[in-house]
Amino acid sequence: MNWLTTRRSFALMVAPALIVYSLYMIYPILYSLYYSFTRFDGVSAGGFAGLDNYRQMAHDDAFWTSMRNTGVVLGIALFLLVPLGFLLAILLSGRVKGSGALRALVFAPAIIAPILVGLIWIFILDPKIGLVNAFLLAIGVPAQPQWIGGPTLSPYSIGLVYLWQQIGFVLTIFYAGLRMLPRDVMEASSLDGAGRWQQLRYIQIPMMRETFGIVTALVVTGVFKVFELVYALTGGGPVHLSEVMVSYMYHITFTTQQYGYGMALAVVVFVVGALASAATFLGNRRKGEVR
Amino acid sequence: MATTPQPAHRTSRRTSGISRRLLLTATASALFVTATACGSAVNTADGSSADGLITLSMHNPDSRTQDPATWQMVQEFNKQHPDMKIRLEGQPVDQHEQRMTIAAQSGTLPEIFWVYDSLAKTMVKSDDLLDLSPILAENGLKSKFAPSMLAGFRQDGVQYGLPYQALVTGFYYNKALLDEHGIAVPETFEDLLAAVKKLKAAGVAPIAQGANNSAFSVWAFLTMLDRFGYEAKYPDILSGKARYDNADFLRLYRHVEELAEAGAFPSNMNTQTYAQAVASYTDGKAAFLDAGVWEAAKIQKSAVGKDTGFWAGPTFSDGVGEQKLVMNVPSAPFVVSAKVKEDKKKYAAVKAFIQFYYSDAGQKILVDNAQPPVTTYQPQVDTAKNSVFAAVLAEASKSGWKSPKAQPDLVVSAATASAMYDSFYGVMGGSLSPEQAVKNVQKTIESAE
Repeated sequence: MNWLTTRRSFALMVAPALIVYSLYMIYPILYSLYYSFTRFDGVSAGGFAGLDNYRQMAHDDAFWTSMRNTGVVLGIALFLLVPLGFLLAILLSGRVKGSGALRALVFAPAIIAPILVGLIWIFILDPKIGLVNAFLLAIGVPAQPQWIGGPTLSPYSIGLVYLWQQIGFVLTIFYAGLRMLPRDVMEASSLDGAGRWQQLRYIQIPMMRETFGIVTALVVTGVFKVFELVYALTGGGPVHLSEVMVSYMYHITFTTQQYGYGMALAVVVFVVGALASAATFLGNRRKGEVR
Repeated sequence: MATTPQPAHRTSRRTSGISRRLLLTATASALFVTATACGSAVNTADGSSADGLITLSMHNPDSRTQDPATWQMVQEFNKQHPDMKIRLEGQPVDQHEQRMTIAAQSGTLPEIFWVYDSLAKTMVKSDDLLDLSPILAENGLKSKFAPSMLAGFRQDGVQYGLPYQALVTGFYYNKALLDEHGIAVPETFEDLLAAVKKLKAAGVAPIAQGANNSAFSVWAFLTMLDRFGYEAKYPDILSGKARYDNADFLRLYRHVEELAEAGAFPSNMNTQTYAQAVASYTDGKAAFLDAGVWEAAKIQKSAVGKDTGFWAGPTFSDGVGEQKLVMNVPSAPFVVSAKVKEDKKKYAAVKAFIQFYYSDAGQKILVDNAQPPVTTYQPQVDTAKNSVFAAVLAEASKSGWKSPKAQPDLVVSAATASAMYDSFYGVMGGSLSPEQAVKNVQKTIESAE
């Protein structure tokens, strides 16, 4: 098996994967970057546009709305999804009767296709036929908020549906992390008189930093890929007020056939997503070094 | 996309372990490329395909139920032409447009396909579409069309498209519901506004509209745009000599706002799809439906079929120009891939299908499926059995009324059309003021046209 260790063999073995990766990852990125500087309409080349597409973006209200909405979903994911996922994992990792079934139940939304999740939630959030407003009426609350389809609440609703969809996935990672913690440390702390809260605050959370880092990175990258939920719930409407960056990029590229501008949006989505992911990884590494 | 045969110069028997692995990798790559490459027909030496099979790609995932006229047309054609075969396929409008765009890039367009005119015009510029003039010249086919049915699909001397179906749009109305609330079928905008107020007060949804993934469903409002002088204004608007945010259009949008404030549109308009809006009408829950002739058959079969009439939409006392307008124009076209010319059998099949589609027998199939003919064919409609379709035809041919040359969204780019749809739905849903709505469209025109 000596040949496995030679540089040449190693290169040969890596080459196919590298070629496929380059074809499917690097090439599309370069392709998008190139066309973002053109007036490409999807069929004919359209000519060089310089920075026009990026200038157009700066004056495009719908683009900024989509940025803000992506920020709303990211905020909900970071400040609600991650803590709630951890909390549920803590609760379900204890000796609770039926915790296995509960875990499976919480995980269930993660295995449903996002487009179906969207369709399910239409029947819950729709201002006219939705269960939430029907419930409000039933308990005597006359207000019928436009949870989706209105000009203000849609991005928050999308964020909450995303939370519902992802929480089982996040919980599972935290649960696995909690199970990996050495039992003797917990037992020793109990013998030393540490309470449940102290164990959580001073032992479990610090020892779970790596897991928190992984979950945060996955959640951040996941938010920049949200598309189907928006597509099914609101179609980005009304008037693009509930678009997130990816759905707006899709609309511009495929519905309005402004491929050049759409590719510029794709480049920005990629850059913003990459920067956010890099910041997350960097933050995790720094925390690790401080420890 | 054609596949290139792999060179066979690496077949030495003295292959070492590494070169064997290299060969395997190369073979696997070749297989991969072959498997992912787009299929192309195997052509014989005389430039004809082995099978003569052609594909007709449409904008409906299930033509049998969603576009029965085209489905039946294809079945009948295949029956009458055993030496040719048309395969009918389809997907929802957005996906279809996306797929045709990508197919144009990769040179894999289906032989015949439906496409929005704006995309067709782009394809003409890239020489992706066949000039259909020679086919029209045969057997006097051209004389079967009114000139206006063909004129919109000609660019730079190329007849790139033929009308798929006629686009007659407006409001369906439920006579029984209107009678129940003592409302006469409206004629003017004031009549419509009064009817909306009365219906709303009685707890009936006045106008069924659905914007979710169907922002294009504003047909009746596009006709209203023509009643404010769109047809005369749009060439100047597109060339920058005039503006979309002019006082006339603004007046129309203010009227739309009046309707919205009177409760004309459902509160879940932005989350329900067009299909759901149609369902709310056919279930008897809405008094009016903004749609077109393509829904006539479905409405006829529904519980409200016998009570349904068709109305071209309101006239305006403060409108501009002709008010007696009914939208009766060619819809988006059928186009043919330029590559068809390279294959004799496929070309013959395409030609035969076009001749069949626009023959009286073909047009009768359209009429039998509640679609108006696109040629000069005079249909015989059983008004008792097809009362909804008959109502549409009657409205479309009303004495003293005329049609614009094209629907407003079909003469602008996809980006501008999208902005126009958004502008109407924005005002209907209260997300945009009339001023914002017209300004948004103007802004899009400045960047996209």
